[in-house]
Amino acid sequence: MDVLGQDKREVFGLRSNSHTGTLLFALVSLILLLSSLYAAEASVFKKARETAMETASPVLKLFSGPIGWINDRVGDVGDYFRVLEQNKALREENAALRQWEDEARSLRAVISALEELDAYEAPPAVKPINAFVIGEANEAYAHSMIVNAGANAGAAVGYAAVDERGMVGRIVDVSKSASRILLLNDIQSRIPVFVEGSFVEGLLIGKSTSNPSIAITMLANGDRIEKGQRVITSGAGGVLPRGLTVGVISKVTDEEAVVELAADYARTRLVRIISYRFPQIEESGSDSENETPARDERRGAQGSAPQAAQNPARPVEQGVAAAPVETAAAPPARTGANTAGANTVGANTVDANTAGATAPAPASPDEGD
Amino acid sequence: MVSRAENLARIARAATPTILGVFGAFLLAAPLRLFEGNVATPLIPLVVVYFWSLYSPGHLPAASIFFIGLLQDLLSGGPLGLWPAVYLAVQYVAISQQSYFLGREVHVVWMGFAVAAASVSLILWLFMSLMSATLLPLGGLALQMLTTIAVYPLFAVAFGNIHRRVIIEV
Repeated sequence: MDVLGQDKREVFGLRSNSHTGTLLFALVSLILLLSSLYAAEASVFKKARETAMETASPVLKLFSGPIGWINDRVGDVGDYFRVLEQNKALREENAALRQWEDEARSLRAVISALEELDAYEAPPAVKPINAFVIGEANEAYAHSMIVNAGANAGAAVGYAAVDERGMVGRIVDVSKSASRILLLNDIQSRIPVFVEGSFVEGLLIGKSTSNPSIAITMLANGDRIEKGQRVITSGAGGVLPRGLTVGVISKVTDEEAVVELAADYARTRLVRIISYRFPQIEESGSDSENETPARDERRGAQGSAPQAAQNPARPVEQGVAAAPVETAAAPPARTGANTAGANTVGANTVDANTAGATAPAPASPDEGD
Repeated sequence: MVSRAENLARIARAATPTILGVFGAFLLAAPLRLFEGNVATPLIPLVVVYFWSLYSPGHLPAASIFFIGLLQDLLSGGPLGLWPAVYLAVQYVAISQQSYFLGREVHVVWMGFAVAAASVSLILWLFMSLMSATLLPLGGLALQMLTTIAVYPLFAVAFGNIHRRVIIEV
């Protein structure tokens, strides 16, 4: 092989004899590192990140175009070799989806009948923001993606991002025309989740491996979690909407329940950013205002389902008053029937929000058993 | 009389290593997903830093390395200053071992790079584990470093040619 300095002891160009520059800049970077760790959310660093993202986004777009094209071509070639098995898998999936379609149709009929009732108010139509992935952190301990929708498109810090399979992550940095999504498996990622089937709420913690996990030691009913149960966002804390598909429990140990994510980060090309604000409670309490009171009631009804069931006489009033506290602190319900109800409300709300992006299954299929 | 265009061309040639490092940093932030995401993107800036620190440190000054590392930090969203510190440490060691590596066979230099990459991985792992207060998994990092080590000879040959044909005046 023909490599520099192989045959003779050659050094080209300028020779740097002193370590002064290296040491000086190393000192600067160490100071920078310490200060950025000490004040990770300081406005200077945040601003620097956002500016860099904004400036780099045209370059990243330039990079991601041809890369996507090549990946598509390579994928096509690979598909030719696997066409038979893929065909078989798709046929099976198609059959399963047909059953779901039947069920969805009958449920839609039930829902439209319920919508005829006076008590129903449709949730506000929220338009999701579509965005392409233009960059991602390819480092071992940083898991994030950069998408080409920013503040100008309506994205904001804290919004959830989903792809066609499930939740991808949530937005942590926003510039004018790009935003960074912290993926669920990043070491800093913490997402409140709800395990369907065992009715357990927990915190999904990124482990920097491909699959995050729910810490069980802190949970009261962690032992009820079983393999195969579906995991959705719980909406606790009011940051994320309830009911986004997260994944499936793949392994349960004494300390944690590992969640296999529904999203496949190696295939995520297009994401949907779901704009969601926890409904604020209006002091005036009049009904003539915009759409927020309607959402208040819905959230309230969801949050305090048990009480509402016990005191049917004044459901709405209590629901509105107790909404934030109840949703944040208490698990939706303790009995199966109540939870199924609360669950469906949550699922519907999100369904309308995402316009079917991650259309969560209307309650767990296991519950019927 | 040197014209302005020639001057610019000379500056661009001299800045080639820095440009390659910046390109590597952007490549790290691009959704490459080699082999359907099974192979990590190689750390090309590490190769750039090691190569030019060994063969022509004057063409890749500490300021350039700092900039490349900072760009990588900014694009990945990690703590600022981590990669500059790592790359500058690599440069420091490479320059101090220059007299040993120059004139050696290619696989010796390759081994040197492997050792440097392994040390970098260890530092990164220790630091990030300390920061997150847990023992982080080593798998992803090891895969990325092994990929980088595996592609080093290709880049070394390419960079050697670039250096001979572009940077030094023919």
